[in-house]
Amino acid sequence: MSKVLGLALGILAAIGGFVDIGDLVFNTAAGATFGYQLVWVIPVGVLGIIVYSEMCGRVAAVSGKAVFDAVRERVGFKAALGALVSSEIVNLMTLACELGGVAIVLQLLAGLPYRWLIVIAAVAFMVIIWVTSFEWLERLFGYGGLCMLVFAVAAVKLGPDWAKVGSGFVPHIAQNNSTLYLYFVIGLLGAAMTPYEVYFYSSGGVEERWTPKDIRMNQANAIVGYGLGGTLSVALMIVGATVFLGHGISPEHLGTIALGAGDPLGKVGLLLALVGILFAVGGASIDTVFSGAYNLAQFCGWEWGRYRHPKGAPRFTLTWIVLLVLAAAIVMTGVDPVTLTEYAVIFSVVALPLTYIPILLVANDRAYMGRYGNGRLANALGLVYLVVIMIVAVSAVPLMILTNAGQN
Amino acid sequence: MTPREFDIGLHVLDHQLLDRNGRRCGNVDDLAIEGGPGETPEVVAILVGPGHWGPRAGWVGRLAGWIGGGKKGRVDWSEVEKVDSAVHLRREAPELGLGSGDDRLRPYFEKIPGAGS
Repeated sequence: MSKVLGLALGILAAIGGFVDIGDLVFNTAAGATFGYQLVWVIPVGVLGIIVYSEMCGRVAAVSGKAVFDAVRERVGFKAALGALVSSEIVNLMTLACELGGVAIVLQLLAGLPYRWLIVIAAVAFMVIIWVTSFEWLERLFGYGGLCMLVFAVAAVKLGPDWAKVGSGFVPHIAQNNSTLYLYFVIGLLGAAMTPYEVYFYSSGGVEERWTPKDIRMNQANAIVGYGLGGTLSVALMIVGATVFLGHGISPEHLGTIALGAGDPLGKVGLLLALVGILFAVGGASIDTVFSGAYNLAQFCGWEWGRYRHPKGAPRFTLTWIVLLVLAAAIVMTGVDPVTLTEYAVIFSVVALPLTYIPILLVANDRAYMGRYGNGRLANALGLVYLVVIMIVAVSAVPLMILTNAGQN
Repeated sequence: MTPREFDIGLHVLDHQLLDRNGRRCGNVDDLAIEGGPGETPEVVAILVGPGHWGPRAGWVGRLAGWIGGGKKGRVDWSEVEKVDSAVHLRREAPELGLGSGDDRLRPYFEKIPGAGS
């Protein structure tokens, strides 16, 4: 039983990171626009995030270092400050999106005015984080997010053309509208490998006080968690393709995405989908708000972590409170969370190299990794994905401009 | 490199400082090194705080350091107990003038129930 509960970090990191509002939007929209032609991008992204999560989880278990410690040590002070500023901006944007997503789902479930629900959601998060231990936060949002599995059931029940789904796993470039297609490839990879996932995952390993004994647990967390996230992403794309593609609907509202499960499964499916989305974007809010606080604290050398309690880590605590207030203020302006999400994902891609290069360097440092340093497989995959990340980082913004953020 | 030697640029600079209780109390933001031309340079102190890291990153760094309060701290190298993945110090953070930002903020949070023991 404790083994199963021990997987909560991976599941929360995956549900809250992999199937957050950005993935909900990009995966369903990808299916609604290109059918199954983009399915292959999901396993590519999943393998990448597994490789780097496993690496940074191992570093956390062996040396007690989280990702931003490594960033500061390895890329030089100037670049680290740049990484901090860009990651804090992207984290805050993403947090605002997720908080907006929570308010949208609460509105669909409870029907109160949207702006009130933003305030209620932000205050609720403050109270929940204040009173709940890290382990129970993981379990609550990770396992609550498993309601998202309703999309997998829906995908099967919709009876897609499995041969076509299968051929979607073969990498290719679409013949028509290939610029928009490439924009989706970049967006899907960006959403799959969002930097805050590794910030949260590595610091989460420290929160759980991992030691070298937990290296197996780390592997299991990365593989099971992100494997599950990838499966859900494929399911969302299939639902997008079967429910929306034929009807020319582009799912621009979270409620529309939930209808994708309601279509084949009725009211119960719709309700489960909404609850699942609530926990997924709620989990992502936890991931991003903590990531923002972890990064600043690690950069400045402050005491950090939910496990230290607010009293033991006052500046860390103040940081996550301020981030929640700022995020609530951003969504209160009325900016559409779904639109903001696309911008957040694309801009996060630019911060990717500065996050992933230091992980690879530290995981290879025998001085404190000893025999737990990277093996050949981890290094080979790490290098391949570094190239992928570089290509993604360079092409993200030009593609966003060329496609008018996917609008044409 | 023998196990007792380490690269101060790679394994000391920018690393976490831990006090004798394992409390995180700043990073090694800069190092004070003494020794003129022809002499063997010697690390004499660890420099801590936004006032020290600011100047390491141009005007953006200075601005960030100013926002961070511009505090400057100095810990003699003799206070270093050992260096592994972090730099361990011999005394408690307040004795060394470290972690005062957290200490100032703590009383406000302590008044709220559930702030920890």
